[in-house]
Amino acid sequence: MSVINQLTGINGDPIDPSVVDGKAVLVVNVASKCGLTPQYEGLERLQQRYGSQAFTVLGIPCNQFAGQEPGTPEEISQFCSATYGATFPMTEKLDVNGRHRHALYDWLTASPDADGEAGEVQWNFEKFLVSPAGEVVARFRPQVEPEDDQVTSAIEAVLPGA
Amino acid sequence: MPETIKTTEVRVGDRLRGRSGVEMTVTRIDPSFFGSDEMVAFVEDTEQQWFKMPAPRDGEVELVSRGAE
Repeated sequence: MSVINQLTGINGDPIDPSVVDGKAVLVVNVASKCGLTPQYEGLERLQQRYGSQAFTVLGIPCNQFAGQEPGTPEEISQFCSATYGATFPMTEKLDVNGRHRHALYDWLTASPDADGEAGEVQWNFEKFLVSPAGEVVARFRPQVEPEDDQVTSAIEAVLPGA
Repeated sequence: MPETIKTTEVRVGDRLRGRSGVEMTVTRIDPSFFGSDEMVAFVEDTEQQWFKMPAPRDGEVELVSRGAE
C-alpha cells in the first residue's frame, strides 16, 4: 500500500500507516453539503460493524463537485463528528479528478466499476474497496448506499479469515 | 445583476458561477448526470482546476462571461 499509507490527515499530520496497513479500506470522497451527505450515517455504521475486524472507512474531503465541501479542515471535522458522529479517519482535502488529482486517485480510478467503467470519479461519495493485500477489489458509484449488500458482501469477502 | 441563461444555451468556453460561488470555465458538457437525461453536467478540466457542476436541462445557470466564438 505505497500510496494509501502515505496520506496526510485532516489535522495536517501524516496518517499513521497502521491505520490502513493490513486492513480492508473503503475509500470514499466525502462532501458536507451534498444530497448524498447522509451517507455518512451508513459509513459510520460500517465502521462500527467491521472496525474491529481489520477494516476502516477512509474519508477524503473533496471540493471538486459543485463546491460542496468548501469548509476548512476544522469545519469539516466538526461537521462530521457533531452531525454524524463519524469516527473513521479523514485525510486532508484532495483532488480526485483532473490534472492535479492525488496519486491515490491515479491508482484508484484505474479500477473499473461493476459495469466495467474506469476513469473519473462521478460525484461525491464514490467508494473504492482496497483489500488488506493492497489491491483495489471493488468500486461503487455514489448512488450505491454504504450498507448495500454489494458493499457489505465485498467487505466481508476480503476481511481476514474470510 | 448577474446574467442568467438557459442551461441549453451554455457552450464550451462559457464561464459560469455555481450556487457555491465557485466559478468554472466549461470545457466539456456531459449530456446526462447520474443516468438522467433531465440533467446535464458542466465540467472544467484545465490546468487551473477540475470542477463539475450539474444543472437541470430545463433550468437556468448564472453566466459570468461568454467564451470565444
